[in-house]
Amino acid sequence: MVIHPDIGSQLVNFCSALLLLTCFAIIAQRRLSACVDLFALQSVFLAVTAALVAFLTGAHHIYIAAALTVVIKAMILPRILKAVIERLNVTRELVLNINIPSSLLVCGALVILAFYITQPIISLGFLLTKDSLAIALAIVLIGFFTMIARKKAVTQVIGFLVIENGLFLGATAAAYGMPLIVELGVFFDVLVAGLIIGIYTHRLQDTFDSVDTTKLTALKE
Amino acid sequence: MSLDLSWIIHWGLFNVVVLYGIGIFLPFAFYRNAHFQNLVAHGAAMAASIVGVVLGLAGLWAPEPVTFSVLSNLPLLTFQVRVDPLASFFVLIISLAGFAVSQFAMGYVREFENRRSIGALGGLYNAFLLSMTLVILADDGFFFLIVWEIMSLVSYFLVVTEHEKPETRYAGFFYLIMTHVGTAFIIVTYLVFYQQAGSFSFEAFRHPAAPLPEGFRTLAFAAALIGFGTKAGIVPLHVWLPYAHPAAPSHVSALMSGVMIKTAIYGLVRVYFDFLGGTFPWWWGFIVLAIGAVSALLGVMYALMEHDLKSLLAYHSVENIGIILMGIGAGMIFQSYGLSNLAALGLLAGLYHTINHAMFKGLLFLGAGSTLYATHTRNMEEYGGLIRKMPWTAFFFLVGAVSISALPPSNGFVSEWLTFQSLFLSFQIPDVLMKIMLPIGAAMLALTGVLALACFAKAFGISFLAMPRSAHAREAQEVPWAMRIGMAEMALFCVVLGLAPMGVVPMIDRVTAPLTGITIAEKIVSEGGFALVPAPDKGFASISTPVLGLLLIVLVPAALLTAVVIGGRLRKRFYKTWGCGINLKPRMEYTATGFTQPIKQVFDMIYRPTVKLETEMLEESRYFAKRMRFETHIEPVFQKYLYDPVVRVLSLLADRLRVVQAGSLHLYLTYIFLTLIILLLWVR
Repeated sequence: MVIHPDIGSQLVNFCSALLLLTCFAIIAQRRLSACVDLFALQSVFLAVTAALVAFLTGAHHIYIAAALTVVIKAMILPRILKAVIERLNVTRELVLNINIPSSLLVCGALVILAFYITQPIISLGFLLTKDSLAIALAIVLIGFFTMIARKKAVTQVIGFLVIENGLFLGATAAAYGMPLIVELGVFFDVLVAGLIIGIYTHRLQDTFDSVDTTKLTALKE
Repeated sequence: MSLDLSWIIHWGLFNVVVLYGIGIFLPFAFYRNAHFQNLVAHGAAMAASIVGVVLGLAGLWAPEPVTFSVLSNLPLLTFQVRVDPLASFFVLIISLAGFAVSQFAMGYVREFENRRSIGALGGLYNAFLLSMTLVILADDGFFFLIVWEIMSLVSYFLVVTEHEKPETRYAGFFYLIMTHVGTAFIIVTYLVFYQQAGSFSFEAFRHPAAPLPEGFRTLAFAAALIGFGTKAGIVPLHVWLPYAHPAAPSHVSALMSGVMIKTAIYGLVRVYFDFLGGTFPWWWGFIVLAIGAVSALLGVMYALMEHDLKSLLAYHSVENIGIILMGIGAGMIFQSYGLSNLAALGLLAGLYHTINHAMFKGLLFLGAGSTLYATHTRNMEEYGGLIRKMPWTAFFFLVGAVSISALPPSNGFVSEWLTFQSLFLSFQIPDVLMKIMLPIGAAMLALTGVLALACFAKAFGISFLAMPRSAHAREAQEVPWAMRIGMAEMALFCVVLGLAPMGVVPMIDRVTAPLTGITIAEKIVSEGGFALVPAPDKGFASISTPVLGLLLIVLVPAALLTAVVIGGRLRKRFYKTWGCGINLKPRMEYTATGFTQPIKQVFDMIYRPTVKLETEMLEESRYFAKRMRFETHIEPVFQKYLYDPVVRVLSLLADRLRVVQAGSLHLYLTYIFLTLIILLLWVR
């Protein structure tokens, strides 16, 4: 089956847009378990996008990356995070650094910024995934913003993972994915990071009776 | 012949690195046996030093400089070494001193055996020697800076060996800051060369594609003077030296004070005479000379007031670096007036004093280390009478003291005499100002020499003569043989350097010849080789230390003989010194403070002493004192008026900056985020 390049490009853009949409959903969501679910959903969308790219370009190693994305990011990491949430009994993000409507506005601005920044690069590009680069950058920025705007350590972990998703999408969009060995390395890193941050959250809870990272200020001399 | 020398140099380079490498790493293999670690570390250092001596001698006599390089993967960096006469001379200094000091260390570090890891101490010691050797040999700016930094850091770790003492930690911290400030200026120097040469290779520095503009040359001159001057300890950048050098273990102090500060002299000569091609305006040399004169005078004056034996020696390093710089500065002045003969003479005097100072300062620090080993205190007021307990140490210390005081026929005398001659010969300069200024420099040098003599009369007299002033001194014992042999070697080097100037001068002439373009050895050394004649055509002055030494040997017995003949037979009678009917006690002795009191009075403008005298009278009568308390301090002028204000401004700025460091994770994330966005917008 051969798909017309234009249609393929449209499909990739559509899937990328879904990723971006889940980002906004994560920002708008107060309930932590829902955030984790949304992250899992985003990872599934990412896997679909990657598979789509693999199918369209014939770069088969991306299939493996897509499969790994499903296994690690959509299944294992959400489990770990949910276990953390359950054990610590933190269900909701009650106090925010920046409230939800403002956050959404800022995220909108970040998306515009991402498109503005990548525009000269995209206009030079020739890959069918080139438009996704802007979306990838937007996702990275929103992930970063999540880490700043939310106080609970769990949400920050999600922000971190969203950044990683954005980078993965960016790599796929800009260069049809990184070499497989690099992808494997990155997956391993993410998994380890997830574990470490899980432990760190526990320690935070033990030390301060809270997973509010603003309490870390107390560590200052 | 030339082929053989080149082979020896390659063999030497390889073996020096390998042997020091063994000394660095092998001790850790025997972590159970501290005694064995000691033997391995210092044995390797001694072997490497012997190879270093061979390498230095071969390099001095090699007709062509030998280069050897290993490419690295990093951009701009090449591990290139070059063995030319200048480098060889300094390698010779390091290795000679390293040999004797390693010998000494074998005995000395046993003091630390139960308190410290001997493996770490010995390994760092070897690393220190290796890094100094590589600093000298490096032929690439980047490589030089790397080994320079390693040298500084390793010496820092050695300084803080006894880190449980707060004053040691303070000394180390002070040293770390100063050495990094210095390194920053050296980097500036090299960047100035780099921007014209397009490469960090010293060969490119020597022959830049386009000649450096005048402003950049001046910048390179000033930055090198400050950068290397910090390491050398010129006034006013000397303040770290009296803290850091005494704090280190004594054998390391000997290397730091005797050898490490010489790497800075090497750097200055390398930059001024080699990279800048030896062409500079007269005022460069004048500045170097003036800084040298001030350092020499202030160094010895502060040394006089110091009662901590090792601090006293450290201040003397400031003095001697000043004397070395006076020679080099005079050479630079002559060079800019085209008087190559005299330029070579000044430079030769400076380099001669460099090797002399390495030996006698090394010897004196080893002597101070021995007294510290025996008495466990550095305070001279607690010594006294050590000559009876430790005759060997006393003798070697005396040799060092005579040398540093520049008494004929010692080695210090030869090089200071040569410096004097080059300063007096300034009447050949056409400029009137210089004709006046250089003899003034000579006058300051003379004053320095006299004060140094006073200082060592005090250091030796208070420490070794009279009666013990404390229990420490009473219970002192002679140090182990390893330490005595180490000191004996150093003393031997001193004596040879003093009695055989006709051998040393041609050797240093091989160093100065490529730098000044003229060889003067044949002119200086008189026919037959027994005297030095700096200006043969002027019939100015000449000196011969072997003859002086011979005279001394002949005249002393002659004088004794005369005394016996004229005064009749001497009758020996053992009895107490007459003390006005009172029993003599150590409390009646001259103290170090008392000894220097007249000098303190004379120069009170410089010392600004504060004296506090509290007398507690008996209740019954106010004519009888129950207790008296005397305190005197001299004002640390440079710290108070130069360093403290800088530190105050810095901490004020740091306080302002603390606002940024709120300790909030989110704030830090925001910083990163904003930086990212700004950068993204900027590159667009």
